[in-house]
Amino acid sequence: MTKIIEARGLTKNYGSTQALRGIDLDIEPGRIVGLIGPNGSGKTTAIKSILGLAGFDGELKVLGRDPRRERDELMKEVCFIADVAVLPRWIKVSQALEFVAGVHPRFNRKRAEEFLARTDIRLDRRVRQLSKGMVTQLHLALILAIDARLLVLDEPTLGLDLLFRRSFYDNLLNDYFNGERTILVTTHQVEEIENILTDVLFIQHGKIVLSSPMETLGERFVQLVPAAGNTDAARALKPFYEREIFGRVAMLFDGRAEAELAALGETRVPSVADLFVAMMGGREPMPGAAASKEAA
Amino acid sequence: MNTLLMLVRREFWEHRSLWIAPLVMVGVILVMSTWGTLVTTDIGHGMHIGSVSSLEELPELGERGRSELTRFMAMPQERKDTFAALSILAVGSLISLVALIVVFFYLLDCLYSERRDRSILFWKSLPVSDAQVVLSKLLVALAVVPLGVVALTAVTQIFVSGIYWLRFHDTILGQIAPAWSTAAWAHALWAALLVSIGGALWYVPVAGYLLLISVWARRNAFLWSVLPWPALMLVEKMFLDTTRVAEFLGQRLAGFAQKLDLASDNFQDHGPDNEMPVMREVFDAISYSGLFGSAELWVGVVAGSALIYAAVRIRQLRDDS
Repeated sequence: MTKIIEARGLTKNYGSTQALRGIDLDIEPGRIVGLIGPNGSGKTTAIKSILGLAGFDGELKVLGRDPRRERDELMKEVCFIADVAVLPRWIKVSQALEFVAGVHPRFNRKRAEEFLARTDIRLDRRVRQLSKGMVTQLHLALILAIDARLLVLDEPTLGLDLLFRRSFYDNLLNDYFNGERTILVTTHQVEEIENILTDVLFIQHGKIVLSSPMETLGERFVQLVPAAGNTDAARALKPFYEREIFGRVAMLFDGRAEAELAALGETRVPSVADLFVAMMGGREPMPGAAASKEAA
Repeated sequence: MNTLLMLVRREFWEHRSLWIAPLVMVGVILVMSTWGTLVTTDIGHGMHIGSVSSLEELPELGERGRSELTRFMAMPQERKDTFAALSILAVGSLISLVALIVVFFYLLDCLYSERRDRSILFWKSLPVSDAQVVLSKLLVALAVVPLGVVALTAVTQIFVSGIYWLRFHDTILGQIAPAWSTAAWAHALWAALLVSIGGALWYVPVAGYLLLISVWARRNAFLWSVLPWPALMLVEKMFLDTTRVAEFLGQRLAGFAQKLDLASDNFQDHGPDNEMPVMREVFDAISYSGLFGSAELWVGVVAGSALIYAAVRIRQLRDDS
């Protein structure tokens, strides 16, 4: 099957700053991939390259096309929701429907209207009259009605309250994802999406530092809370991260057999959030890692 | 084609002044016309040629005045048509003036506002190419609005004539200058259409320049569009003591009317007795070949196309969202 996204040595420099330092990516159809990294790690730059919004060096094919040259063709099959509501504030809801219907060959207007009917959004409203959550709902209504192969979400729920965030992902899974489509999502709120991901990519300093399907994460990484007296023995097995919780030490191991570690204490599969903190923050959990938007 | 049509419609949703401002001007013209029929038509000694239907009702009228008015009333239709044509051109000029101002600011704003509010990320998430987007804006400025102005002028003149007719049709004034002349209406609008097309082509480089500023400026697109010119003129004056920049600018902005030979005295009296010129002669004097045949026009179109292409490329490659 053809790959949805294929990148080799994807590089991007902003002046002397290297935003991407040779990224390789292979994203297969039907996956929900989380691209996770701290501020300034290159997430947004990677997304922009994939969408044809910014130039890059290296090889990159999205749905077999070069996004730099064929953005308009590509956008027939790729949808995109950016980190903040980017719908123009002057547009009326009805005009937004009319416009997308007018320019997008794969847009199902009826479907968008049905979705909107389930919300409090009125068709005669302008975007500037809607709350932030409603604007996101409107954008989602437009996107969900497009029969696309790849959906790219860049911090889609930033600044939304919990209710909207929850329903956003519920809608996405129920109304959009059908096992053939592919979703690439970046977010700071790792906990919120880790249950829906099929694959996880960690990006740091412009490089992919972890690329793994969710189901094999547990084969590679183990979290151990050693029983009393076993701490030093556990340390001898070279955990790559440890931290203290309520006076007990939790250690993360990469590539150690679970059985070997289980003899020393309680083991479990670490959460993506645990791994993120461990791999991105060094020994000290990074304060405020999830606080602010990544600078472009 | 459908995409382009949709993009053009979109422009009128966002930039509502494009249609509101000309319509407001039409309203002003109609109010002015109504008011104009209400003011006095005194030709001296309390004689109102807009209130009486025959010269007998003006006993104070001397022999000379009587023969003067008689001559005006008996003026051939082809000369009376010139009055009507002038009225249409006045209406058209007023609407055009408003449209010109609105289009100037539209072109400066259209590629700038989408970056300012970051909605460019939404527009770029749709299967529309940068060339289509820029082209749609150019089309709005140089085709849709000018044609709209001509159409609006045609309709407005019908109302202006109607107002005039209601008030003056059975008066002396109405006999001197009839309310309606289909020939004048058709001639004037045809001329307006040709002049609009010529104007659109003449201003391609100006439009391209404004689009380029719009897509390029990070802020203050207006200042960027205007200030370099006086700055250049100043530098030129200081170092070369010439005025080529000013001449170039003047030619690009106003040379269009000069090419059409509009400045010539077409509308001055031609006859021996202070007569209105014959309408056909007036319109025949417009030098369309002078405009459409001028190298300057086509050099401008080529240069403007280069600026527009640059604007497309910048929108395509620029990443400052």
